[in-house]
Amino acid sequence: MNDHAPARSPQDLDDAIAGGIGESPIRPDGALKVRGEYAYSSDLWAEDMLWGVTLRSPHPSARIRSIDVSGALKTPGVYAVLTHEDVPGDNLYGLKDVDQPVLASDVVRYKGEAVALVAADHPETARRARERIDVDYEVLEPVTDAERAAHDETLPKVHPDGNLVRYQPILKGDPEATAEVVVSGTYTLGMQDQAFLGPESGLAIPAEDGGVDLYLATQDLHSDQAQTARALGLPQEKVRMTLSGVGGAFGGREDLSIQVHVCMLALRTGKPVKMVYDREESFYGHVHRHPATMYYEHGADADGRLVYVRAKLYFDGGAYSSKTPVVVGNGTTLGVGPYVVPNVRIEGWGVYTNNPPCGAMRGLGAVQPALAYEAQLDKLAEALDMDPVDVRIRNAISRGESIATGQVLDYPAPVAELLERVRALPMPPERDGTELDIRELPGGASNTTHGEGVYRGVGYGVCIKNICYAEGADDYSTARVRLQALGGEPAAMVHTAAAEVGQGVVTVQQQITRSELGVERVTVHPNDTDVGKAGSSSASRQTYMTGGAVKTACEAVRRRLLDRVAERFGEAFGDLSLAGGKIVSASTGVLTEIVDVLGDEVIEETREYHHRETYPMDAEDGSSERVQVQHAFSAHRAVVDVDVELGLVKVVALDCSQDVGKAVNPDAVVGQIQGGSAQGLGLAVMEEIRVGDGAIRNPSFTDYLIPTILDTPPMKIDVIERGDPNSPYGVRGVGEPPTISSTPAVVAAVRAATGKDLTHVPVSPEHVVDFGE
Amino acid sequence: MKPFDYQRATDTDTAVATVSRNPNARYLGGGTNLVDHMKLGVSSPELLVDVSRLSSDTVETLPDGGVRVGAAVRNSDLAAEPIIRQRYPVLAHALLAGASGQLRNLATTGGNLLQRTRCVYFQDVTTPCNKREPGTGCSALDGYTRYHAVLGSSEHCVATHPSDMAVALTALDAVVHTQGPSGPRSIPVADLHRLPGDEPDRDTVLEHGELITAVDLPALPMAARSNYRKVRDRASYAFALVSVAAAVDIAGDTIRDVRIAFGGLAHKPWRATLAENALRGAPATEATFRTAADAELAEARPLSDNEFKIPMARNTLTSVLRDLTQQEGS
Ligand SMILES: Cc1cc2nc3c(=O)[nH]c(=O)nc-3n(C[C@H](O)[C@H](O)[C@H](O)COP(=O)(O)OP(=O)(O)OC[C@H]3O[C@@H](n4cnc5c(N)ncnc54)[C@H](O)[C@@H]3O)c2cc1C
Ligand code: SF4
Repeated sequence: MNDHAPARSPQDLDDAIAGGIGESPIRPDGALKVRGEYAYSSDLWAEDMLWGVTLRSPHPSARIRSIDVSGALKTPGVYAVLTHEDVPGDNLYGLKDVDQPVLASDVVRYKGEAVALVAADHPETARRARERIDVDYEVLEPVTDAERAAHDETLPKVHPDGNLVRYQPILKGDPEATAEVVVSGTYTLGMQDQAFLGPESGLAIPAEDGGVDLYLATQDLHSDQAQTARALGLPQEKVRMTLSGVGGAFGGREDLSIQVHVCMLALRTGKPVKMVYDREESFYGHVHRHPATMYYEHGADADGRLVYVRAKLYFDGGAYSSKTPVVVGNGTTLGVGPYVVPNVRIEGWGVYTNNPPCGAMRGLGAVQPALAYEAQLDKLAEALDMDPVDVRIRNAISRGESIATGQVLDYPAPVAELLERVRALPMPPERDGTELDIRELPGGASNTTHGEGVYRGVGYGVCIKNICYAEGADDYSTARVRLQALGGEPAAMVHTAAAEVGQGVVTVQQQITRSELGVERVTVHPNDTDVGKAGSSSASRQTYMTGGAVKTACEAVRRRLLDRVAERFGEAFGDLSLAGGKIVSASTGVLTEIVDVLGDEVIEETREYHHRETYPMDAEDGSSERVQVQHAFSAHRAVVDVDVELGLVKVVALDCSQDVGKAVNPDAVVGQIQGGSAQGLGLAVMEEIRVGDGAIRNPSFTDYLIPTILDTPPMKIDVIERGDPNSPYGVRGVGEPPTISSTPAVVAAVRAATGKDLTHVPVSPEHVVDFGE
Repeated sequence: MKPFDYQRATDTDTAVATVSRNPNARYLGGGTNLVDHMKLGVSSPELLVDVSRLSSDTVETLPDGGVRVGAAVRNSDLAAEPIIRQRYPVLAHALLAGASGQLRNLATTGGNLLQRTRCVYFQDVTTPCNKREPGTGCSALDGYTRYHAVLGSSEHCVATHPSDMAVALTALDAVVHTQGPSGPRSIPVADLHRLPGDEPDRDTVLEHGELITAVDLPALPMAARSNYRKVRDRASYAFALVSVAAAVDIAGDTIRDVRIAFGGLAHKPWRATLAENALRGAPATEATFRTAADAELAEARPLSDNEFKIPMARNTLTSVLRDLTQQEGS
């Protein structure tokens, strides 16, 4: 297989079919969302439903002496007030380590931790009753410094086993290697929020079988189902979940929020119960991106070839483990970036503190080190007086070479090509001082400069991100595909549990089915737990995994159909294909219509798709033959204008080259890259949850700033397709890489414009300008 | 949110009488600040008297050449008013630099002046705050102070006033007209807001029940040569770190007269009289601008996170003055 031809399904794909693979059909939810008519989970409603609210800890660390709910219970209109004593099953859950209580019992470990629940006939009644719950806390000194938490045994233990969630070293080659040119730096990254617009919400309806049906916004129905059933003390089949309109996710919906709580209230009251967080509660109600402190040293020879990388990475996991182990795994395995490095010593620590819990967010564990290793490559270029892109190309990893864990990349890794391509994209026009629209300048609508004191800078960033679950997890998805004749037309129905979180996985399933079955009419069944697992809409994995499952199920359906045709017409099975609702023979042409073969029969097949096996990392040296199943790469070039009097940054251009293996839906691919780039831009120049003494200081979209259209430049997106021979259609995960390489590119451009070191993101005016003179 | 009663005011006298006699009554303008506070639990009035539709929603020219802005004029309408755009560009700029289009469509002139600080501790009812609950202490002092004051603060409160419009009005010598329990009065906008002192819970000099009915802009011909610059963390829809409103009257290269106010630096819009004095009669040079800025900022005292505001204010003032003095005519 050559690098340029994506792997294909055995059948020649009928790419001519309207809305098949490689096209960008209109998404079913698109117009509704634009018109404001799409039903989100916060719009759910049932006759006679109650409203649930959560009482949260006001302290980052405290012992609970007692909880008195009697005042709340007496409030007219209140149906239930529940505490840890009312949790029917295990009062613990978690994605990896099971360490988080459904409702705090003896201690609270972060400000915002759930302590009690109220259901009432009106949300305001519930909130007022909540104020009448009396919790007696013994306030304790919180642990807030992640680096200290990793090493200082004298600190209080956030969990009984101590404050370390995971330590992982990677040792490769000579740990004491020396080099001619050495650069080092310390880099820090603030806590970023997923900033999805749809708050956590769901509606639980108690069922006659003693179970419960939950309609909700999530990223992974089955993960929620398993954890919720366990906490409710019910068998999984009695806790049924159906996906409702999801208003964005980005990792923030992987951990449980309302799930167990709202089900507990529904089961206790015997009535439907709805929960919706408000914006402030949402900031406390989901995990965030791990803040990090990273110490790096790079050594290179005089030609700019890397000799070694040594790094220590500290990730603040906050009060519960959530995805911290994975962040340490990804952060260390990808800690040298998309480069070949003979000698590596990287150590990663993920720790518990009493800060808000951190977990999954787009670019999981790869965003943090990219800020550092890319800054280091720029430093190296400067020390060697080399072009920053050339230094990167000189060290770029490619197919057949290995990452720090020893895993050989047995698929295209076109890092050098991406860098060349992004460098070759046309530059935005120079400013010529005649800009009439101040919105084009730093400060935008704020009218801060009319062009004076504005300097331009250009910066590059490139990254590597693993796709799908890693380190030995059995990663799979399930699809049920049904083919039948409806109204004289062949029609297919696809049923999976893959959560549509806005990324377009519904459309992708339709496209694959169309191409595989040659049938235009494809419906996607609502996502629920009546079908097998799909895994999470995370790790850029759904087109790969659920796409693979849909493809496999379609192939099984097709086989049954064509077997019958081969028999009836005496054709060789291998000669038959499906196109435009017809069955075509390579030797004799169109044989018959699909509907004629089907008659009244329904062909239905359910299949799982598992990706190639991955293996754990060695605890001592991090080595692993295949720690991750696939890697994706993107390269960014940022052009910025900086007002050096006020420190304001305008990103003028943020262009990207990315390898997507196969663009199943080119418009969606571009949308993912633009959105990811904007999120990376936000981290570069404005997004930070300010945490002080364990409390979030800016839990609102007035105070937590995300880029507006004025902050976001038009983007040139250059998509290439170097198929991965191991994945369905050669696809490569798309969603995460652009979030990763955009941030270092923007920061590099600001450094180029100002000559400042800039070691922290987000970059603020006071970092950009030396106001101290 | 606590339950409350709502009344729509039909005339000024009744509105004033109603609110004055009930310590837990508040006026409601566009509600863009007050309703947020009610949701957050920062404010729990039992009665809202809606004054957003009282007659004063017009902008009129006065016989002496000044302009009267009714208290109910919406921020969007005021910014779009041709007289304002031509004769007081600083005010139009300041309004448009504030909030978002949707918010400006609701926000009123009276409400904008009386919006309260964005100090994160003030808005978080789980933390001590002298402004919200006198005597509980100031959480900002050892906390997150990037948006806080460098001028005129006290050990009791270091909050800033968030309004952009009020900064422009302060520079323009605007005057607020009120109707209160003890009758009507007029207060220069520069004297409307207070420094925190030991009573940070009092933002302004207004009495309870005192209704803002209008704001007068003096004729002030030099206001035609005026501008507003706002430094903030994103290109729109964010509060000021630092802002400057200024107007100049220039003859040849000499500054004949000048008006300056800073936003983002203090508990009130900060009229920069020391800088104005340094500039009056001085040549319009970069050096003079810096000297003037330094004169005003000499007393500035930074907190842990906001030292940058002082040079940022200096640079902003310098660039506004540079811009205004280099403009061709007016
Ligand atoms: C997300 C967001 C961003 C914002 N960004 C900015 C910004 O960048 N710059 C900026 O300047 N502002 C900003 N604002 C604040 C906005 O300008 C104010 O909320 C608005 O101006 C308040 O006007 P209102 O009429 O809605 O006041 P209300 O909320 O109705 O009232 C505010 C206060 O004034 C009192 N009041 C109202 N009218 C009168 C009257 N006639 N007489 C006496 N008392 C009265 C009320 O009792 C209340 O105490 C922002 C607000 C939000 C929500
Ligand atoms: S600065 Fe003022 S408003 Fe902020 S916490 Fe202190 S007293 Fe309250």
